[in-house]
Amino acid sequence: MLLSSVVIVLREVLEAMLLMSLFMALSVHLQISRRWVFGAVLLGVLGAYTYFIWFDAVSDWFDGLGQEVFNALCQFGIYLCLLVFNILLLGTVKRAVPKKLFIIVILVATTLAMSREGAEIFLYISSFTSMADKLTAVLTGSLFGASIGFSVGVLIYYGVLNLPHWLTLKVCFGVLSLVAAGMVSQAVRLLIQIDWLPASEPVWNTSDWISETSVTGQLLYALISYESTPSLLEVQSHLAAIGLIIICTILYYWRVQSIGDQHEG
Amino acid sequence: MMIFLLGMKNMKKLTAVFMLLGLATPVFAGTPSFTIEIKNHLFYPDVLTVPANKKVKLIIINRDESSEEFESYELNREKIITGGRKGIVFIGPLAPGEYPYFGEFHPKTALGKIIAQ
Repeated sequence: MLLSSVVIVLREVLEAMLLMSLFMALSVHLQISRRWVFGAVLLGVLGAYTYFIWFDAVSDWFDGLGQEVFNALCQFGIYLCLLVFNILLLGTVKRAVPKKLFIIVILVATTLAMSREGAEIFLYISSFTSMADKLTAVLTGSLFGASIGFSVGVLIYYGVLNLPHWLTLKVCFGVLSLVAAGMVSQAVRLLIQIDWLPASEPVWNTSDWISETSVTGQLLYALISYESTPSLLEVQSHLAAIGLIIICTILYYWRVQSIGDQHEG
Repeated sequence: MMIFLLGMKNMKKLTAVFMLLGLATPVFAGTPSFTIEIKNHLFYPDVLTVPANKKVKLIIINRDESSEEFESYELNREKIITGGRKGIVFIGPLAPGEYPYFGEFHPKTALGKIIAQ
């Protein structure tokens, strides 16, 4: 019981921790106050608790398909936030940092991520409240899982802070784009699960190379929403999501650069 | 005889043409539906056979008071079903084979598999 609680909670917190630590490190890099983190945790926990309380009501939407629809909306929301964030991020090369906008985007993204994943943790722990013999193990395991997740977050934070200055933006841009695209393919998978999008047989099977249950598989899941047997639509949406980020960023960067050139001229 | 000569591939095309013309109705009227129940953190049935290469609807009924998450890496599905409620999950089309699934909240006991054939 203890070990499975560690794994469940770790899996849930890993993605949010990855986002949080990247945003924290970037805040240092862009000289934005890191105090937003308190607001983010507060909003995230509140969001998670609210979703947890309303979970059955949300699940009943669309004739019992509400859970998938709501989660998919959260994931699309995170994608949009990361898209805007990445565009702003490369814009900082030529322009002053729009600090308020950055913080708003960060808060929305982390709240969405923590609400969805936190609600699952609340549901998990609450399902053991009537089993006194197991509750202690579940709580201890969950605490361990959360602590490991937090440690991974701290590692990523210091890892990014120690990158050479010129590399920081590029690495964060790349990782955030991958996470963002993963959100879209996860959302698409949920919509396939409720038959709103067409299903197809898997395009490939990499489970012999990297099993989804392995540590590498789990880390890759947090990073790129790795799946060993993705359907065609998931792969296409993943690629399209990355493509859109790159196109939008290039367009924005050109615009900023041409305005900058005009001013200089 | 003609039918055999046409071969399977052409038959499908022919059926499609007839269907477009409204001359034939599809025999596969609805998505086949199967029910799995959760009782005492166990799945019933724990082995479920479903048709291969076809979309299938799973109705998962949680008879326990506590929540459970139906999860399968092989099927790429996960869904939380809170105590005393039911959830719907579509799976497939699946290639013939075995697809294990488990209850994430009780991963040691809540185990099952779907056999597509």
